[in-house]
Amino acid sequence: METELFETMKNAVLEGDENLAADLAKSALEKDMDLSKVMNEGFLKGIQEAGDLYQAGDYFLPELVCSADAMKVALEILAPALKNASGDIVTTRGKVVLATVQGDVHDIGKMIVGAMLTAAGYEIHDLGSDVPNEKVIEAVKESKPDILGLSALLTTTMEEQKNIINTLVQNNLRDDLKVIVGGAPVSAKWAEMIHADGYSDNAMDAVKLVTRLLG
Amino acid sequence: MNMQGRFLSEEEKLRIHQDSIKILEEIGIRFPSRIALAILESKGARVDWDKQVAYLSEAMVKAALNTAPKQFVMGARNPENDLLLPSAFSAYNMDGCGVNTLDFNTGERRGAVLQDVADSARVFEEIDLGYIYWPPISPGDVPYGARSIVSTGTSFINTSKHIMDEVKEKEEVPYLIEMTKAILGTIDAVKERKIYSVTYCTVAPLCHDGEMLEATMELSKYNAPILIYPMPACGTTGPASLRSNLALANAEALSAITLFQFVSPGVPLLFGAALGVVNVRSGMFLEGAVETAMQMAAMGEMGKYYGLPTMSAGCLTDSKALGAQAVLEKAMTTFPLVLSGVDVVQGIGLIESSMTLSLEQMMIDGEIASLCRRMKNGIDISEEMDYFEDIKAVGHGGHFLKQKNTRAAFRSNEFYQAALCDRNSYDSWVDLGSKDMIELAREKVKTILGSERKNPLPESTEKVIREIMEEAKKKLNK
Repeated sequence: METELFETMKNAVLEGDENLAADLAKSALEKDMDLSKVMNEGFLKGIQEAGDLYQAGDYFLPELVCSADAMKVALEILAPALKNASGDIVTTRGKVVLATVQGDVHDIGKMIVGAMLTAAGYEIHDLGSDVPNEKVIEAVKESKPDILGLSALLTTTMEEQKNIINTLVQNNLRDDLKVIVGGAPVSAKWAEMIHADGYSDNAMDAVKLVTRLLG
Repeated sequence: MNMQGRFLSEEEKLRIHQDSIKILEEIGIRFPSRIALAILESKGARVDWDKQVAYLSEAMVKAALNTAPKQFVMGARNPENDLLLPSAFSAYNMDGCGVNTLDFNTGERRGAVLQDVADSARVFEEIDLGYIYWPPISPGDVPYGARSIVSTGTSFINTSKHIMDEVKEKEEVPYLIEMTKAILGTIDAVKERKIYSVTYCTVAPLCHDGEMLEATMELSKYNAPILIYPMPACGTTGPASLRSNLALANAEALSAITLFQFVSPGVPLLFGAALGVVNVRSGMFLEGAVETAMQMAAMGEMGKYYGLPTMSAGCLTDSKALGAQAVLEKAMTTFPLVLSGVDVVQGIGLIESSMTLSLEQMMIDGEIASLCRRMKNGIDISEEMDYFEDIKAVGHGGHFLKQKNTRAAFRSNEFYQAALCDRNSYDSWVDLGSKDMIELAREKVKTILGSERKNPLPESTEKVIREIMEEAKKKLNK
């Protein structure tokens, strides 16, 4: 019975059914189920399988994004109950805050990186696009992520990546944090120049980068 | 007749138009600018101030289309390079905002610098069908607040053709006006000659960029032509059918046209297109895909439907290197646009989805452009082309080489003489060094860069332009 329910949870994520994933997560809470089992044998299995299918070339981007969002919905519902004493979600591999920098409204690249990282088992806090620098700093202070990912699509806004990193240093927030940068005009050389910890020019490599940085 | 191509019938164009009006009326479009929203509201738009969304009616769109000029000249510093729009042929533009250059000496991909603007402008001066020069890369060695101004100034110094760029902030406008005034003498001449224009990109889906919008509104007061440039990509920033992606892009274009005509009635506009499709796995924008070219040509047809001059992105490739993929994709994304009569094709000289400049590729693209023009011009069946008398004179057997008509025709536009396609015998080709198209293009670039600058500015004017560039570097560098 329970095995079947876990299978349904897995499939809800795998098929990107947000409503079903939400219902299942809520009922897991109501029934007081073992939540680490719910995650590891249910939802997380779904997102892992989605990630595998994507890697194998069977899933395209829309399928992966839908799976990631279904996972996110389930995780949001379960998060309060999953947190340990230090406030971290024990079943995820790490916390990543993402933002498109201020003055830049381009959202899609960062959203794709978020979906891929979700699929790889990371907890994602997406601040959106055109995010004021102080809001990024605030988010780093508050949610203490392992990784901060900054996206910029314009040659004029990529400067903000540098500005944010400088502000992080000034506020003593840089030491325990890895900062990664991306976006069409951004390059590995630029990342090095502004003292970021990494760069990738596509979302799949961004996952590898995060895994390497946290490894 | 001219060779014709089209993707949309009259009824289909009407349907796309109706789709777009429905989008503007029911979903509306976001203008993150109080000034813009206030103007639209005063002209009858319903505005949701919290969401910054304006709902535009068909009547408003039509009123705006009525005041948009149907014909105008994109002036050039050297009037011989003026471009009358709509154009009798497809002219070409560079596409801005690249960040890399394939170094001409080493062949390596490196960050783009200001010298690349100067060099590409000089090469552009020599490309027959090149009429509008948008500095193709953003120079990394210039302080970023002053990049547009310095690139524009460097362009004016190195090519006598029309210059296009973007204005991102209102503060840039006075510098641009001063520059064009230094060249033309008076503000009236600036408004009249129109030697500088701007690209204005909408942000798909259904948004405008507030700062760029207000800067462009400011510049529109000086009658600078504005290229309206919507760029939704199927499935990511736009819907996943070509029909609806066209409708979305068209709605964005109409919303920009409506606003700019209300701000500055009569300001010249180009109906542009930079639509695309994406890599289904990574979501990355694909410029060299055939569906991209199909949408660009179809948007050109929509622009003509509204009676506006058109400029569509074309001559594009996603190839990372010079060679087969680049030439294949560029030819495929140029020819349909030329056939459907797009006035300006925008994109030559760049590879890697317009991120990387190559001077050699500029020459190769010039050749693609010339080949496409020849085919577009079609087969001339006029009386003058009836050479019956030659056939009669030669009769059965023999040859036509000695006919007067033949000698004249071989030097006429009837036969395009390729500049970069090798047409020698095998042995001659070997004797000439077994060169491929890229090497031939390199030689031409080398000759251009090794010779004197053509059509230079008067020394005193160049000095003023350089002073304005220095001033911008000091004051706009935030």
